[in-house]
Amino acid sequence: MLHFRNGQISRRSLLQLMAAAPAAAGLSQLLPTAANAAGALNIFSWPDYFSTDDLAAYAKKSGVTPNIATYNDDGALFSKLNSPAGAGFDIVIPSSGWIQQLAAKNLLAPLDHSKIDFSALDPSLLNRDYDPGNKYSIPKDWGLLGVVYDPDAVGGEIKTWQDFFDAGAKPNVSGKVRLTKDAGETVGPALWLAGKDWNTATADDIRGTADFLKGFAKHVKTFAGFDPAALASGAIVLAQANQSAARGAIQQNPKLKWVVPGPHSEIWVDSYAIAAQAENSDQAYDFLNFFLSPDIQVKETEYIGYPAAIAGLQGKLSSDTKNADLIFGGAGVDFASLTSFIVNPDTIDVYQEVQNEVQAAAGA
Amino acid sequence: MADSTNSLVSKPAGRSPAAGRALDHLLAALPALWLLVVFVAPLGFTLVFSFGHSSFGGIKLGFTLDNYAQALSGFYLESFLRTIQFAVSGCILCLLVAYPAALFIARQPPTRRTPLLLLVLVPYFTSFLIRVMSWQIILARGGPAEFALNLLHLLNGPLDVLDTQTAVFIGLVYAYLPIAVVPIYLVLARIPQPLIEASRDLGGSALQTFWHVILPLSRPGLATAALLTGVPMLGELVIPVLLGGDKGVLMGMAISQQYLATQNYALGSAMAVLVLIAVAVMVALLVRLTRGFEEISA
Amino acid sequence: MSAPSGAARRAGGALLGLWYMLTVLFLFAPIVTSIVYSFNLGSLNKQTSAFTGWTLAWFADAWNNNSLRHAVEISLTASFWSAIVAVILGTCLGFALVRHPRPLVRRLLSGLTYILLIVPETVIGVSLLLFYAVTRIRLGMPTLVAGITPLAIAVTALIVRAGVLTLDRRLEDAAADLGAVRWKALWFVVLPHLAPAVLAAALMSYVFSFDNLVISSFLTTPSISTLPVYLYGSLQYGPSPAVYAAATSVFIFTIVLVALAGLLYRVVLRRGPRPVRPR
Repeated sequence: MLHFRNGQISRRSLLQLMAAAPAAAGLSQLLPTAANAAGALNIFSWPDYFSTDDLAAYAKKSGVTPNIATYNDDGALFSKLNSPAGAGFDIVIPSSGWIQQLAAKNLLAPLDHSKIDFSALDPSLLNRDYDPGNKYSIPKDWGLLGVVYDPDAVGGEIKTWQDFFDAGAKPNVSGKVRLTKDAGETVGPALWLAGKDWNTATADDIRGTADFLKGFAKHVKTFAGFDPAALASGAIVLAQANQSAARGAIQQNPKLKWVVPGPHSEIWVDSYAIAAQAENSDQAYDFLNFFLSPDIQVKETEYIGYPAAIAGLQGKLSSDTKNADLIFGGAGVDFASLTSFIVNPDTIDVYQEVQNEVQAAAGA
Repeated sequence: MADSTNSLVSKPAGRSPAAGRALDHLLAALPALWLLVVFVAPLGFTLVFSFGHSSFGGIKLGFTLDNYAQALSGFYLESFLRTIQFAVSGCILCLLVAYPAALFIARQPPTRRTPLLLLVLVPYFTSFLIRVMSWQIILARGGPAEFALNLLHLLNGPLDVLDTQTAVFIGLVYAYLPIAVVPIYLVLARIPQPLIEASRDLGGSALQTFWHVILPLSRPGLATAALLTGVPMLGELVIPVLLGGDKGVLMGMAISQQYLATQNYALGSAMAVLVLIAVAVMVALLVRLTRGFEEISA
Repeated sequence: MSAPSGAARRAGGALLGLWYMLTVLFLFAPIVTSIVYSFNLGSLNKQTSAFTGWTLAWFADAWNNNSLRHAVEISLTASFWSAIVAVILGTCLGFALVRHPRPLVRRLLSGLTYILLIVPETVIGVSLLLFYAVTRIRLGMPTLVAGITPLAIAVTALIVRAGVLTLDRRLEDAAADLGAVRWKALWFVVLPHLAPAVLAAALMSYVFSFDNLVISSFLTTPSISTLPVYLYGSLQYGPSPAVYAAATSVFIFTIVLVALAGLLYRVVLRRGPRPVRPR
């Protein structure tokens, strides 16, 4: 409503006018949203974790466009689902480490195996220790913890985690190292070198690695997200990374090398799960069956760069996929030596303490 | 301070002083009530949790001071002190960059001021994270900054500033610049021109005018800017990670991790309460010492 | 004005001008970079530091990405509402911080305002999550807006307070002497003088609300997700240039909006405001 003061449109009513358009848009958001007539599907996932084409294909086939909300931290997923305010999600994508804890708090619905077609999935990714019998989860894609490095700067090959730590101390390499921010992935290598298992290690074992790691911290340049550009330009010459990130770096700088060091390393599996309070379970199963078909999974792999969990995937990728073998961790990976981290409330705080101390030591 | 209702009381024209006071109470009550509901009440939870027993992803209500003991332990205390040092440095740097820019805008004729101020604010119309991510691109080895610096012969060879404290401070100043410029500019713009001219007429040089007239009068703006930049810097999470390589654990990250990674709400709450108390004390001291919030009387 | 001090003043002015220009360059560098890199081809669907090639595909990709587009819409809407609430309540608060007759109230309000700035966002986020859980309030746009207003209100209040401190109190006294009711005195005399502060604060509130990351990430729901949450999550596996394209679009959209507003303001109110005549 315009009103005139002294023959001119008053300032205030002008502002009201301008506010009208976005306000109309805004108002519609405030009204309670009724569920879509055709059904709805709510997914909680990392961003960019489903290919746009495949989502569109699903929308076309089923008439339902999934709502994908994103989270930026595994802990945030847990916090959100753990609160009654986390209602409304149907499918969630937890990482393997958190599935046990989510299940322990009854936040995940046990899967009805009769409704899902597991036949196309790779058997070696099923029935793993973080979710025996796949009671709650279906593998979506997986990754390995490894090392990508510049062999010239490092002056040789890296075969074990000991080689990794030794290399980090060398003059050409010190100050150009990347460690991950994940407490398990930082402490794990030290535990493995000491012959321990990171899921059964005691608090003392974990604490015992602190001095060694803090001593190593002075060689570390960054703990932040992996940046292929840094490796391509030589700002970082030695980095912990997963195979897909390494592939990105090697794509930009082919002389880099990738290895999964011994004696042990990590395999993590991001998984589909259905939230305990899901309201659209049927739609969720429908979605899962659509997405678990091999054709879709091949396209997903090519889009996100992480290997889906279906059997025989490597042979199915299109031949012009660059560095395709790196998607799977390259040649010579001993899958039997890989374990998944399982978050254990009794030890996670010690892990995090050590991680904090290492990061603090690096910044000192 | 003179009661603003005094002048009304002495007036014959109609309105009772009570109506004026009611308005004051309304102006105070409206925001206070809103904040009570959406901010203070939830914070009450934090206070209660800080005394509770920690459990993974939950809270066992009770009364224990263990969380406070842990929060005051060596590591977290060091982290807190480092964060204060970090925020103070960042704040001072930011003010140093912002002040001349604000002064420049304030000295322009009034018609030119708005576009000049807008020019400083326009970059903020796009997502902050994207801009910080763009700084990663700019400061990367082999990136535009290295190219420009080599071109200007200010640097020879590769630029290795990413993932260092320097990059973090660049990012910090960048992020908080507008919030520093605005209050300083607002106060500078209000300094009456006659005062400045009087100073010059009395024989003061430009520098003397600045030091003895302009700078002291801009104190409220500086104090506001210091508060608006320094305090949020204490909780800064994003820039030290994206530009600093996530080295050194600052308070914001430490507390965040307690809630997310370790799911220890009790300890996180205790740390938050301690931070709150400590910073409140520091701010109160700052206000008392600088007396920077006093009115300018023209 | 004698010659030497005139020259000194001019030199000072030139230096200030140079500083300002450098500042603007500094401020615009990442904007230009982010716009340019939204056309970058990237590598393996991810953004790269080195420019690998020109393409417009990412804009289409961003638009077709429902999750991303929806996040942008929500961000724009939520920050708009948050700015409105913050301007209204923040101006009241900023004014009360200086002008409330009772010192105790002023001190309490001060404390409240500072606390808004001091409390770490994670703490607020988790507290809000738990608070809404206990009070059984459903999460949605209103709770998201409510969650991000406190910071915006604090910023607005402090900027308005800085503005109020520079006000000449005699203006209000004069208005009162002329028989104006208190609220009219505030509305017609004080507010126009506070207009630059309020408008600047409104802009800042909008910007800070739009960029809110931590609190927003706790208050997201299936249908409410914001752009910063999306962006920060994309850092885990590497952002694609599509998010840069989305950010560029938002930037252009906001500039156009503000420019239109400014144009309207100037075209319609071509003459300055006439003085208010006493009744």
